[in-house]
Amino acid sequence: MKKKLHGIEFIIPWLIGTVIFFLIPLFASLYYSFCNVSIDSEKTVCEWISLENYRYIFYTDEYYTDYLLDTLVETLWKTPLIIIFSVFVAVILNQKFKGRTFARAVFFLPVIIASGPVYNIISGNIQSTGSEQFSTMFSADLIGDLMRFFGIYDISEKTEKIIISISDNIFSIVWSSGIQILIFLSALQNIPQSARDVAIIEGADAWDYFWKVTVPYLSPLFKVNLVFTVIDTFTSPANPVMNRILSMQSEWNYGKASAMAWIYFISVLIFIWLAVFTVRKLFGDSDD
Amino acid sequence: MNDPSVMWIPRHFTFDIIKQTAEVMELPETLLNTVLLNLGCSVVQVMACAVTGYGFARFDFFGKKFLFGIVIMMIIVPPQIISLPLYGNFVHLKLINSKLAMYLPALAGNGIRSGLMIFIFRQFFKRLPKEIEDSAYIDGCSRFRAFVSVMLPNAGSAVLTVFLFSVVFYWNDYYISSTFFTDNQTIALMIKNLGSRLSVKLFNNSAVQVSPREQIVWLEAGCLISVTPMLVMYIFLQRYFIEGIERSGIVG
Repeated sequence: MKKKLHGIEFIIPWLIGTVIFFLIPLFASLYYSFCNVSIDSEKTVCEWISLENYRYIFYTDEYYTDYLLDTLVETLWKTPLIIIFSVFVAVILNQKFKGRTFARAVFFLPVIIASGPVYNIISGNIQSTGSEQFSTMFSADLIGDLMRFFGIYDISEKTEKIIISISDNIFSIVWSSGIQILIFLSALQNIPQSARDVAIIEGADAWDYFWKVTVPYLSPLFKVNLVFTVIDTFTSPANPVMNRILSMQSEWNYGKASAMAWIYFISVLIFIWLAVFTVRKLFGDSDD
Repeated sequence: MNDPSVMWIPRHFTFDIIKQTAEVMELPETLLNTVLLNLGCSVVQVMACAVTGYGFARFDFFGKKFLFGIVIMMIIVPPQIISLPLYGNFVHLKLINSKLAMYLPALAGNGIRSGLMIFIFRQFFKRLPKEIEDSAYIDGCSRFRAFVSVMLPNAGSAVLTVFLFSVVFYWNDYYISSTFFTDNQTIALMIKNLGSRLSVKLFNNSAVQVSPREQIVWLEAGCLISVTPMLVMYIFLQRYFIEGIERSGIVG
């Protein structure tokens, strides 16, 4: 028995906090999702209506299921792009070059802005004054022109469509990869000099070095970043499902909002489980 | 600034707008209050998350998998969902309007996005070789002592990363500080309500309608004020970020 509790003292403060600040409220919200909740002078009154809220969401609410599907599909294709982009940017930012401090600060900006109210102002700003400028920047035509300029003509319509959809989303991909870049960057810092020396002695070129040294060192953080990216896309206030949940909440429909939130968690959980499973297949199970 | 042709190319430079915005935001008090909440909570949160993450990375105790599942849940569940029951909890504990409403969760590793930070720490500590702790144990360290004086110095870059996130998240938080406080001046809250504050303070009349196009000038100034401290902090901290490698003595 003693062995079983070995080291548990490290997580006891967290455990206590989690029960009070997380688990109890979480299960309260699960309970609310089966209730008709009303707030009566600082006290919440719950009236048990079993699955009524869930029935409402799937059969009556016209937006929720569509939003949910859209979000799932979007996350599915955006996540790998964000991860790949941030690996490359982190590798580049980890090299020594002039103006690196500035470049790093630029990529850190989204971290500061995107998680705060400043984002609302800026994105509202884009809508009210500058939407033309931003959407034309990477518009379909421009990309077509650019490709013709480089002499790329005979590509199939499908490939072109993919390229266009990626280029349309450059803005949001860069926007949402700030934290991932930082996490990768700090992992890159931890690659010991000896690994680099050995690679050079063994005659590895930059390409080998990337796949044989960089990627294995980053691999445990692929998982962190994967989970984070998925969650960040799922919980960002810009996401239609979250919007729907929050607007339900602001209409004091706490029961329905909780039910929506629970459906959402379960979809997100399944999604993450699938994503982690794929990463394990890809990178092996070495570091859990 | 009533000239609509001024869109991308400024006609002339002036600090007046920034000064006005700073006045509207009551900058000195707001800044002090934000820093008190922000830095304190961040430091406490990083410590709590480091300890918890280490516990998850190194020890095999009963129900670890299950408990780590809860950590994942903490990352997934947006604070908006649990805020109503949590509010009820805080009313019970008489913590509304007390700074403890932010400090206590941070201390218990349940602050803003703590789940993510625990997760990052766990992944980092997993990477460090076990031998350095073993040698500490042989030298007679207790488990906690080994953590503080051997493992923590080696996790410099992780601590710094998490600290950065933590400061930024607390700096930008307006949801929690507006839910659990009836009157709390933080930078993020000020920015959030800048539009309405502007018309009250600048024109002494809340009914004055300022067109969004003109208001943007002050809003952007507010954004600048809010972003600059974080950016400066990052630029200063990132030097240590890079130096982190040379100091980490992971040999053998």
